[in-house]
Amino acid sequence: MSRVELRALAKVFGTVQAVKNVSLDIPDHAFVTLLGPSGCGKTTTLNMIAGLEKVSGGEIRVDDQVINDWAPHERGMAMVFQNYALYPHMNVYGNIDFALRLARRPKDEIDRRVRVVAEALELTHLLDRRISQLSGGQQQRVALARAMVKEPKVFLFDEPLSNLDAALRTRMRVEIKRLHLQLKTTSIFVTHDQEEAMILSDYIAVMRDGVVVQYGPAEEVYRRPQHYYVATFIGKPRMGTIEGRLRVSAEGVRFTAGDLHLQWAPTEADGPAQDVPAILGIRAEDVRLHAADADVAGAFRGRVGLLEPLGSDTFVEVTRDKQALTVRIEPDRRVQIDEAVTLELPRHKLHFFHGETHQRLAV
Amino acid sequence: MTRLLRQWTKPTVIYALVLFFLLWTVAPVLWIIIMSVQPEINYVSVPPNLKLSDVSLRWYGGMLAQPDFVASLWTSTIVSFATMLFCLVIGALAAYPLSRLNVPHKNIFLLFSIISRMIPAIILIIPMFLLMRSFKLLDTYWSLIIVYSAFLLPYVIWMLKNFFDQIPYALEAAARMDGCSRLGALFRVIIPVSAPGVVATAIFAFIGAWNEFLFGLILSTNTAVPVMVKLSSLVSTTFHSDNSLVAAAGVLAMLPVVVVVFALNRYIIRGLVEGVKY
Repeated sequence: MSRVELRALAKVFGTVQAVKNVSLDIPDHAFVTLLGPSGCGKTTTLNMIAGLEKVSGGEIRVDDQVINDWAPHERGMAMVFQNYALYPHMNVYGNIDFALRLARRPKDEIDRRVRVVAEALELTHLLDRRISQLSGGQQQRVALARAMVKEPKVFLFDEPLSNLDAALRTRMRVEIKRLHLQLKTTSIFVTHDQEEAMILSDYIAVMRDGVVVQYGPAEEVYRRPQHYYVATFIGKPRMGTIEGRLRVSAEGVRFTAGDLHLQWAPTEADGPAQDVPAILGIRAEDVRLHAADADVAGAFRGRVGLLEPLGSDTFVEVTRDKQALTVRIEPDRRVQIDEAVTLELPRHKLHFFHGETHQRLAV
Repeated sequence: MTRLLRQWTKPTVIYALVLFFLLWTVAPVLWIIIMSVQPEINYVSVPPNLKLSDVSLRWYGGMLAQPDFVASLWTSTIVSFATMLFCLVIGALAAYPLSRLNVPHKNIFLLFSIISRMIPAIILIIPMFLLMRSFKLLDTYWSLIIVYSAFLLPYVIWMLKNFFDQIPYALEAAARMDGCSRLGALFRVIIPVSAPGVVATAIFAFIGAWNEFLFGLILSTNTAVPVMVKLSSLVSTTFHSDNSLVAAAGVLAMLPVVVVVFALNRYIIRGLVEGVKY
């Protein structure tokens, strides 16, 4: 179990700067996710931590030791790969004990450790099987076992769930979470799936174009996105947004977009007076649905455009000219398509981002 | 009626064509086998007068009793195996970085390696002869192994690179995480996983070395004469008037290749048709 620190980490491939100045503090026992779309540099970052890619600039520290030039197996890390990357020419046992054999551990120790891990992951009856005879879920468990048997200081996961079907993905997600709760090994997980990141992580680093846009506790990244990109990348459904102009003054907060005027009474949280191009954002679960004639602060009046009943909730898209916001309602509440409604946008649930820099505004 | 006809004609035509091509390729081989077990008078007469009662293996016995012919079989075996091993080890060590690492100008290297093989071998005979003479390697196994390897390596590198290309990067990354060096990952994971391809390549190199004639003819005179060269001298020397003997020698010369191919048939087909299946 270890603390991992990245200091101004950078990677250059020829003329392409894949990772730029990434700095992260990963505390002991933490489950940290590098989240971002493909090509954002998250896998490259992970590969540098693993030692599979040379570092072009910056430092990787584990427990205050710089490990930039250590070979992958000297780093005390284990990795679970996207396509499992199991050795097809060995059986399950051979896959699990490979690292221990290479480390020349005594035979009885190898056997004991393999059996303990196999037991924990319910693989004991499969130890003699060939990899090609296993189902996807079983292969995934072998991949986990192969990583666990090394008793690593840090687990690295490179999109290990992205090739599984939906049902299996949900199950393996739970399995990884349970494993982390049990072992408490520091884990770094790479994914492009924000839902996976939210469910698994203590901390999330949202990446884009080789840069960490925001890093913090998962809850905070969701609740207080520091950047428009983070706000819209995390959360399902996507955060509703409207582009317009924000004016903060002694009279309170006023947001205008075309003929839409939203007004909230002044509060202590308003921040400095300003008048800037801005993007308003609000999550579906923070919006409240009212009848068309309701008189509420920050009222967005429009018509129901689309209903998405999920069973547990229903998402309602309300449109007004070209603007649209989504609201989550109880499934037993009835609304009709094209019905006129009013949405209440509560002041303390709003996010404002600068219209040009896309940074969060202190409002 | 027409449907039935069509149903039958299509496979019939296909089988007929297959049979035709099979005969075309197999007939000469069949004929030399027949020649090797019949007295010459039976197959030179028109029409051929082949008799089951005349079948005999005595010509094989005759060939195997000739020490210089047996020696040439032995030379070819050693040289072909050594060439194969040489090609595999050097080829794998060259193909791996070309497949995996960011080697600058690797495409140019690959292109030149194959272009070098477009030069007709006969043009290189004299420089090769002079080279081997100055190294005092004429008429040794080494001269043949070195020259054969040099000529086969470009193909071997291309083939192996192709097979290695098909192995996912993650597999090698996993091996390195587990404690392999890059070379360790090559020998413990990449080569075993691409076994069908490696075996197919090995056989390709073996056959290439076994069937080589031109360099053997020039570089060897007495002590290291490969069987193909020996065979040609049997055909051309006039005092061997018995063609059955020559035929038996021919069959003996192709036997090792046939045995190797049949033994590893499964791998060759998988290696050449499917590539590496991961």
